Amino acid sequence: MQFHKYDVVIVGAGGAGMRAAIESGQQARTAVLTKLYPTRSHTGAAQGGMCAALANVEEDNWEWHTFDTVKGGDYLVDQDAAEIMAKEAIDAVLDLEKMGLPFNRTPEGKIDQRRFGGHTRNHGEAAVRRACYAADRTGHMILQTLYQNCIKHEVEFFNEFYVLDICLTETADGPVCTGAVALELATGEIHVFQAKAVVFATGGFGKVFKTTSNAHTLTGDGMAIVFRKGLPLEDMEFYQFHPTGLAGLGILLTEGARGEGGILRNDSGERFMERYAPTIKDLAPRDMVARAMATEVREGRGCGPHKDYVLLDLTHLGAEVLDAKLPDITEFSRTYLGIDPVEEPVPVYPTAHYAMGGIPTNIKGEVLRDAENVVPGLYAAGECACVSVHGANRLGTNSLLDINVFGRRAGIAAAEYAKAHDFVDLPEAPEVPVVAMVDKLNASTGGERVANIRTELQQTMDANASVYRTEDTLKQALHDVQALKERFDRVAIQDHGKRYNTDLLEAVELGFLLELAEVLVLGAINRKESRGGHAREDYTTRDDVNFLRHTMAYKQISDDDTTKKTGFGGLTADIRLDYKPVVITRYQPMERKY
Amino acid sequence: MRFTVRVWRQTGSEDAGRLVEYDVDDVSPDMSFLEMLDVLNERLTLRGEEPVAFDHDCREGICGMCGLTINGVAHGPRRATTTCQLHMREFTDGDTIVVEPWRAAPFPVVRDLVVDRGALDEVVRAGGYVSVSTGSAPEAHATPVARADADKAFESAACIGCGACVAACPNGSAMLFTAAKVTHLGRLPQGAPERDTRALDMLAAHDEAGFGGCTNTGECTAVCPKGIPLADIAQFNQDVLRASLRGAGGRPA
Ligand SMILES: Cc1cc2nc3c(=O)[nH]c(=O)nc-3n(C[C@H](O)[C@H](O)[C@H](O)COP(=O)(O)OP(=O)(O)OC[C@H]3O[C@@H](n4cnc5c(N)ncnc54)[C@H](O)[C@@H]3O)c2cc1C
Ligand code: FES
Repeated sequence: MQFHKYDVVIVGAGGAGMRAAIESGQQARTAVLTKLYPTRSHTGAAQGGMCAALANVEEDNWEWHTFDTVKGGDYLVDQDAAEIMAKEAIDAVLDLEKMGLPFNRTPEGKIDQRRFGGHTRNHGEAAVRRACYAADRTGHMILQTLYQNCIKHEVEFFNEFYVLDICLTETADGPVCTGAVALELATGEIHVFQAKAVVFATGGFGKVFKTTSNAHTLTGDGMAIVFRKGLPLEDMEFYQFHPTGLAGLGILLTEGARGEGGILRNDSGERFMERYAPTIKDLAPRDMVARAMATEVREGRGCGPHKDYVLLDLTHLGAEVLDAKLPDITEFSRTYLGIDPVEEPVPVYPTAHYAMGGIPTNIKGEVLRDAENVVPGLYAAGECACVSVHGANRLGTNSLLDINVFGRRAGIAAAEYAKAHDFVDLPEAPEVPVVAMVDKLNASTGGERVANIRTELQQTMDANASVYRTEDTLKQALHDVQALKERFDRVAIQDHGKRYNTDLLEAVELGFLLELAEVLVLGAINRKESRGGHAREDYTTRDDVNFLRHTMAYKQISDDDTTKKTGFGGLTADIRLDYKPVVITRYQPMERKY
Repeated sequence: MRFTVRVWRQTGSEDAGRLVEYDVDDVSPDMSFLEMLDVLNERLTLRGEEPVAFDHDCREGICGMCGLTINGVAHGPRRATTTCQLHMREFTDGDTIVVEPWRAAPFPVVRDLVVDRGALDEVVRAGGYVSVSTGSAPEAHATPVARADADKAFESAACIGCGACVAACPNGSAMLFTAAKVTHLGRLPQGAPERDTRALDMLAAHDEAGFGGCTNTGECTAVCPKGIPLADIAQFNQDVLRASLRGAGGRPA
């Protein structure tokens, strides 16, 4: 075992982690632990853009942006947080520009902006051009730019370090975060990092679903780690399905395609979104478009031999526009489906894309341990966190914004906290839970295989907990997930070596996914209403009287022997659901029409 | 489809490594190259053998993780394509396919097809950034950039750092990678103040890391999945020459 001591430890080197590191690294001794090489993080996959009311190409302001975010999130958004995000968006974009991000430009040399779903002028009058972009490689450019700047500020990176636990030290005022425990892929060694402040920025958990735009490594590690410590997760039932995944594959085609004028059509060629959102049509928020597509298919108006997808028509845009503004997705369609979008419309269907929920934080990025109190020294930002600026449904381009605004805030807050506080002692033998978990997996001779359990998990989640849900399907999912958890107890791995043991880590990640799937499904069963990305066919309307509140899910950790030994209380522990009020400042909930 | 794949197996840096032959059948032409390897690994695991280690994540040609030398060509036979985006339909049923890791002195093999590309980081570390202080809102103002410059910078910034250019180069040079970084930043007004020192420092780090010199064979750009042009290297050479002549940063010319 190796021991390290830093003022601030940041877990994750995607956009949120690196934006935090840039701030923290200038003020405090900062280490970034990441399981992927920083520039390979998933932020790099983001395509379409990052929004800010720059008003470079038409009238716009931060208040309209705030309103759109709140309405887009079906009023489950904390409005104080949304306002901060919309206001700070402008500096966030200019910061990136200063660091050298090659945004697309207008002929006058200003940052160009394009339309995106749910972003409107004057509270819903018409779509507005608010998304700044670097063709359809915006995320790649953000990631590279932030990485370059981290290097400039001499941030220390520990690459291919898998953080598997955090250290909480009990004090009279409750738990305080004092460090993190990681496994180094190259050696299999365990490293304990003592820190005054820890920032989680570990990204999403799309891999609970089969059809997803998310990469292999998005297994919700950070969320699961804090959850296992008895800390809450917020609004996990709200998962976003992006309308335009390549049919059958889930690979994403950015909403920017519709922002540039792309149109969704059903089997008769009808522009069906005119029926569902008469004002902004194809640029309605994602939850509405995804449901409209699922409805078209269910009612027999789908396309193809099995009538199981709809078409994204880009043919009228012309080769030049596709080449200049959407080169990657044009290529995706050619590579994966053999379809040239210049000539033919592209088969699309919703794909699991983004976690609105996550580790609850306040606007400084401090992690909550219940509806009111924070865990001193623990911060979270990015997709793994829930501030909540996305509420029940995130608007496109608001995530790249979120990671920059709240990544920065968390980095500043963590560094300031570290400067103002002394190190607190680590709990006794902080490495024990991780060692126990690894030993257990290594020793297992059970007959279950990681790949099989993962496949079955993804199948039941796709079938039972996706765009449309009912009590029955959700109970089926819950039943399946719980059965899989039991089987996971007997999972065995092939590779028992220490160096580069990805086999072992995939098993650990599967454990995280199972845990999060259960929280998602339980929250969904309990939320007997339809709101944003959570659509219940047995409760089709929004119920503000009973459900205008955030879900808070806690793992019930008993004080028995296994808990003490593993710190996790086993996978099958019960989950308790509680609530947190929504912050409402300017906008009273209204019916959501577009 | 069925294939005979000859895969490089190596347990670690101390092991000399060797090609091992496997038969893989039941491969659909729509599978990607990595999915074909998944099939192979599934069979190996069932037989109780060690699966073949290879890097991957996004499988969409974005993250730059994947990278295999396939029949001697970095990223395989299709131009402007990462290994994860290469499909088996590019091959003929019954083919023998040789799969090796990136071969270059600064990229030591970690295991099987996985190499350590950390040396590329060292090059960026030497100067691949713009020095700015962020978040100072009052002085925040937009920097206008001519569209042509933005477009050129974008083209160079498309580099995903996969290292194919190094693997393809007979000299093991990382000049295309380095040039892409230098050209991206040098083309923008934000990057102009450090243009000279950046070019010299990154070149020095490149040589220091053990990458070879560029002799303009153009193999790099031929395999680059993002189509970074050879012109970036020419631009880089000009920048270096200019910086040396001006004695940038007080350094001897
Ligand atoms: C295909 C696609 C397109 C998108 N397009 C857009 C868009 O146009 N606009 C927009 O606003 N949003 C978009 N999004 C969403 C957005 O990209 C993500 O939500 C956002 O980038 C998440 O950033 P992050 O920093 O929170 O996490 P990530 O970038 O996923 O980074 C997570 C980091 O955590 C590390 N990590 C994870 N677990 C561990 C662990 N156990 N130990 C150590 N390190 C760990 C990883 O190594 C990684 O560095 C898109 C998403 C996808 C999938
Ligand atoms: S796996 Fe990401 S580029 Fe190939």
